[in-house]
Amino acid sequence: MRDYQPDARLNVTSGGQNGDYPDPVSFDATDGDVKQIATEAVRTGYIPGIDADPRADFRDFVVDRFPARGDLPNRLILRPKTPFGAP
Amino acid sequence: MNRKTVTIVGAGALGSHLVLLAREWEAELRVIDFDRVEAKNIRAQFHTRLGSGKNKARAIQAAMKSLFGMKLAAFSARLVDSNAEELLGGSDLVVDCTDNIAVRQVVQGFCRSGDIPCLHGCLSAGGDFARIIWTEHFVPDREEAEGQATCEDGRNLPFHGLAGALLAWVAQRFLEDGVRQSFQVTAGAVVRLA
Repeated sequence: MRDYQPDARLNVTSGGQNGDYPDPVSFDATDGDVKQIATEAVRTGYIPGIDADPRADFRDFVVDRFPARGDLPNRLILRPKTPFGAP
Repeated sequence: MNRKTVTIVGAGALGSHLVLLAREWEAELRVIDFDRVEAKNIRAQFHTRLGSGKNKARAIQAAMKSLFGMKLAAFSARLVDSNAEELLGGSDLVVDCTDNIAVRQVVQGFCRSGDIPCLHGCLSAGGDFARIIWTEHFVPDREEAEGQATCEDGRNLPFHGLAGALLAWVAQRFLEDGVRQSFQVTAGAVVRLA
């Protein structure tokens, strides 16, 4: 019997666009798995709100994990690094 | 709104627009920045030719006074552990708008140790993605390469304004009602994180 793995909403930012992956993703997915899922999805235009980009590459991106809270579900957030406040 | 003390660390792309939009707050504003206004900053930040060559904190202090009659305290200093108490102590809210991980860590460490509410404003290198995030959820990102080039040509000025406005709105909600909400933003989407 498999361990219970809670589902999460995967939100992706790519090329200044943002959208949710249409299918639930395990909240326990590794960062590598999340990046792989997003790469394939963005390359094929599977994420509403993000234009298909055959060169999508998330290796330098960050995966944040936000547990469910109030009206917000478990969320996996794949995003660019944000080192700046004053470029 | 009771009069509170708000300290803004960094008067660049986000911090300068935050100051502009904070002018109606019933708050004592402090602005800290060690850097000087360069020509490129005038294209991407709320700085003017009148401030060119001046310290950023003092330049925005002068601009806000002359344009709006607003008074704020300006500190021309590089924030480090040894002066954190002097510069951040007594704040009811600290807003981190800096551009390097060392200063972010000083801000976060001091605020956590003193239980001071702290909001971080962060931009991506491309200048088209931002996070407005409370310190309890914040892990600072490192630059992909030291001295990484950033968008400074003014192309993303509207986005800096958008992110700065959201930063001001989140801070104002906290000052008025104690609400802490975190967001990420692109030009087409604002996503609530917590």
